[in-house]
This record gives sequence, structure tokens and C-alpha cells, in this order.
Amino acid sequence: MIAGDTVRSRRRRALLLLLAPITLMLGVFFLIPLGIMVVYSFLEPGLYGGVEWNWYPYNYGRILGWPLNDYEEFDPIYLSIFLGSLKVACLTVLFSLLICYPAAFWVSRMSERRKTFVLFLIMLPFFANLLVRIYAWLLLLRPTGFINTLLQSAGLIAQPLDMLFSNFAVIVGMVYIFTPFMFLPIYANVEKLDYSLIRASQDLGATPLQTFLRVILPLTAPGIAGGSVIVFIPALGNFIVPAFLGGSKVQMTGNLIERSFLQSRDWPFGAALALLIMASVVLVLMIQFTRTARAQARGAV
Amino acid sequence: MKRLLTRIAGAAAILMLSGHLASAEGKLALYNWGEYINPEIIDDFSKEFGVDVTLDTYSTNEEMLARIQAGASGYDLVWPSVHMHDIMQQLGLLQPAHPNQLPGWDAIDKAALRSHEDPNGDFCLPYAWGSVGILYNKTHIPELKSWKQFFEYAKDNPGKVTMLDDLRETLGVGLIMTGASVNSRDPDEIAKAEAFIMEQKPNIGAFRYDVIPLVTAGDTAASHYYVGGVLNTLQNPELLGFVIPEEGATMYQEDVCLLANAPNPHNAKLFMQFLLRPEVAAKNSARLTNGVVNTEAVALLPEELKSNPSINPPQDVRAKLQIFEDMGKDLRLYTRAWDRIKTN
Repeated sequence: MIAGDTVRSRRRRALLLLLAPITLMLGVFFLIPLGIMVVYSFLEPGLYGGVEWNWYPYNYGRILGWPLNDYEEFDPIYLSIFLGSLKVACLTVLFSLLICYPAAFWVSRMSERRKTFVLFLIMLPFFANLLVRIYAWLLLLRPTGFINTLLQSAGLIAQPLDMLFSNFAVIVGMVYIFTPFMFLPIYANVEKLDYSLIRASQDLGATPLQTFLRVILPLTAPGIAGGSVIVFIPALGNFIVPAFLGGSKVQMTGNLIERSFLQSRDWPFGAALALLIMASVVLVLMIQFTRTARAQARGAV
Repeated sequence: MKRLLTRIAGAAAILMLSGHLASAEGKLALYNWGEYINPEIIDDFSKEFGVDVTLDTYSTNEEMLARIQAGASGYDLVWPSVHMHDIMQQLGLLQPAHPNQLPGWDAIDKAALRSHEDPNGDFCLPYAWGSVGILYNKTHIPELKSWKQFFEYAKDNPGKVTMLDDLRETLGVGLIMTGASVNSRDPDEIAKAEAFIMEQKPNIGAFRYDVIPLVTAGDTAASHYYVGGVLNTLQNPELLGFVIPEEGATMYQEDVCLLANAPNPHNAKLFMQFLLRPEVAAKNSARLTNGVVNTEAVALLPEELKSNPSINPPQDVRAKLQIFEDMGKDLRLYTRAWDRIKTN
């Protein structure tokens, strides 16, 4: 009895000790900055950046399009930018999923040595700086770039295609950046896939489509969901790709936040926009979380 | 004996003095725009005075202001644009460095004392100025003269021109084209400028700063760009051209300012004095291809710069250049207009 208690309290102490560094780190580097952002988003913008310590809830109203003074009209541009960002993030998830899902099956059937090699190739881009890689896409896509030169010399096109500085270029760049993040969770899931279940389904007379929809898809769903969330979150806030490959004509909320701080000297508005992105990310995470919990509960039954 | 002693004392005093002057020792921390000083100047200063100089860079005035306001310390000199010089002085972020009492001040063009807050040069030293015009590729456009021609070309060749990703600069072109001041606070005038840029937007390939590789390769035919692009036109005069458009253009000027919390004010003043030397100013301009504010430096400029109409423009062109003033709260007018241009 007594011995059991000491073991338990010792365990608890050890656990506290082990969790202390991460708690401290999250507190200092996550909660405090987040708190500052929340506070700033309700303050009046200072004339030259920074904030005036006055209660000012209009930053959120401005996101929704409300006019701030006489000469402004109701104009929900910031909402439409946000919706545009959602669209780009969703397309990024969709296309990287279309690339990664079949690829994961392919890689999982390879021999161990080739598997390791392919995984190394997928991790390889992380060794080069992101900006450099985006710049490489600029060189590939531009009118005198590699792709256009190749197509022209092959006689497929007469005039160079206008690929750079377009929605197309933005989606290409985003999918390129986030593909590894989609691949790894799906691959982890597909690798574990029990092929005896697939054979059983075939033995029981299911068509290939039925096997896919009723056996393979549900078994790999956690990987798809995980990958999608991991891609969606950073894609929503990205601002480098639209600036570089979209020629700043395609605009995402990330660009707007950057500009609020560095050009228009409106920190509270930037903070409010950042919180909007954060809120939508939390929402997505919560949906994902409740769905997994429900799935697990169902699995237990 | 006594004479010897005085002599020794005198020699020691001279040694101490000269030691004090020649080796100011210690450090100097510069916080400047990216690629806005000839690195040789820093090296020369370092060697001559034995000062360890560090250089950090920023890419917008607001970025620099935000960092200084957030309490970034350790910097001695900053290079704000004139309107930001005014703001920083008002906010008490600067201390008077009295460049106007330094030798060489007389050579400073008094027209370059553009700051409203600092009309006599008690705080900051005018550094360099330049215009914002158009860099173009001559294989696409043999000779470009005006904004009108720029936008007509864009209409016929959509996507082949770029403008700066800067709300004041690009709306400024709209204001120039609709006949208003680039410092307009009139919502109607700004709305007209917005409509003008909006109308051009489908033909504009990108809003972008980094255009030199694109224009050089011919990916874009013409780009709204700073006079610094003249450096490339000089290296490649058959291919590239730079022009201050006939309708007028914006100009910028930066001043060198001493921060209120500068840790090395003595070395900072020494550096200002160094920058005042005409040969140093000329060396700097040869690298930056900026306009000089030092009248004695003009004669020392390489011939291709001295005779370049973009760097040393004639009086009638200078008269068409407008400098940005701080908009205060009215900046919001521009921000909204710019956000709408970017979104729609």
C-alpha cells in the first residue's frame, strides 16, 4: 500500500520533471506571443507602427468589410482574400494528395533498399533553402526558361507559354513545397496496410472498386487526414509562393499580414488577420480530432 | 634637462593626441538598406581608423522603424528615407550628430536638406538620392520615353511589363498619370489613381522588386525600377536602358542618422565625416549609380555617370521628380486602394 503510493508519486514527479521543459517552452514561445497577438488585435494602430493602448475592436470589423470612416464603403475585400487563400490551400491539399496517394502504394511495394533510396530522395529538397527552390521554379517557368525552351525546340508551341506569375504557378509551387508533408503520413499508413484483408475482400467476391472503397480507403483514411491537415495548415498562411511565383498579383492572407506590418504600419490589423488564420486552423484540427476520436470509439465497439 | 623633459612631454602629448584621432578604436554598427553602400568604403574606413564595422540590412523603412521601436539596440547609424527621418526625429529616436559642423559640409547641396524637421542638417547627413523610372530591354522596346508608351506596350503585350510591389510607388504612378501629386490626400484623386492602375493590371505581369534578371533575359520587356538599375545598363548598354519617364517620376533620398541610443556616437560622427569626403561620395555613387548630394563629388564621378541623364538629370527633368512625404493617418487611403488593386 505504502510502497505503491511512493512508486506512484515518484512516477508523477518524474513525469512532471520530464514535461516541465516542453511546458515551459510552449508557455514562453507560444502562449505569450499568442497573448500579445490577441491583445494587439484589439488595440488602435499606432501612427507609425506599434499600437496605441486604446480599446479598438474595429480591426475585426475591417476584416469583414465594414468601413472605418466616411469615405470608405462596405467592401469585403479582406474576406474575399481569405476565401481565395482557403481555395489555394484546398487545391494544394487536393493535388498533393493525388500525387502522393498512388506514389505511397508504389513505394511501399518496393524492395527495402530502393524504398530507403526513394525516401531519401523525397527528403532531399529539405537540404536546400526554400527560397532557392522557389527561385528555381521561377527559372523553370519563365518565358525564356527551361520548360518553354524545351517545348519550343520540340516544336510543340510557337510562342512561349505565360506560366510564370499566374494562379497555375502558385499552385505548382505550393504543391511542390508541400508534397513531402503529404507523402510521409500517407506512406506510414500504407506501409502498415494488411494485404491479407485485401485478399480476403477479393476472395469474398468484391470488385476492385468495392475493395478500394470499403477496405483500402478506410484503412488509409487516417494517413490521408493527417497529411491533409499537415499540408493545409502551412499552405493557408504561406506568402512566399504567391509573392514569387504569383508575381504578387495572386494574393493570400499571408501577404496581407506581411504588408500590414512592413508597409501599411497597421500591426493590430495584421494581428487580427493572423488570428483569423489561426482560428481556421484550430477549427480544422478540431474537426480532425473529433472525427478520429469517433472513429476510435467505433473501432472499440 | 628641463628642455628634454618638455620635449618628451610634448612628443607624448602629440602621440596621445594622434593616437586618439587616428585609431578611434572600437566598434561601429551600421543598419542600412541592402546593397546601399559600396563595401569598399566600409573597408577603407575600417583600415584608416582601426574601427571594427558591422553592417546589418533592411528592405523597407517600416521594417527598420519597427525594429528600432521594438528596442533593437546596438546600432549607431541608420539610413531612413527623408520622410522616415522626419518621423524618427519626431519620435525622439535620433540624436543630433551636427554633420553641419563637420569639415566638408559646405560641399553638400543645400537643396538636399529636404527634411522638414531638420532644415539645417543638425541631425542627419544627406546621403544619396535617386529616381524611380523604367528599366527596359532594347530588343523589345528600342527606345522608351514615357509612361504612356510603357502602358501602350503593355496593352499590346500583356504580361511583359512589371511594376513595383510598393503601394506608394505604384499608386504614385497612377497619381502622376492622372495629374495629381504623389502626396495627395484627396480621396477622389486617390480613387482615380486606383482606377488607372486597376485598368492596367490585366496587362501587368507582376508586382515585383527583383526584376533585373527578368529584364536582362527578355522575360519582361520593361519594369518599373530604381535608378540603381543604371549599373546594369552601363554594363550592357546595347541591351538595357533606363529612363525617367517624361510625365515625371518619384524620387527618393536617404539621410544618414545617428540613433539616440547609439553605443558608439564618436565613431559614427567619424564615419559621417568620412562620407563627406568628395572622393568617398563619388566612389559610393559609382557603385550604387545613385545621384550624389555632394557638389564636389560630381566632378569626380566617372564620365558615363556624370553625363547620364538619369543619375545627373538636367534641371527641367529634376523639376518633374516628386519626393514622398509621410501621410500619417491618411496612409490608410492608400492601403485600402492598394489592397483592392491586389485583390480584384
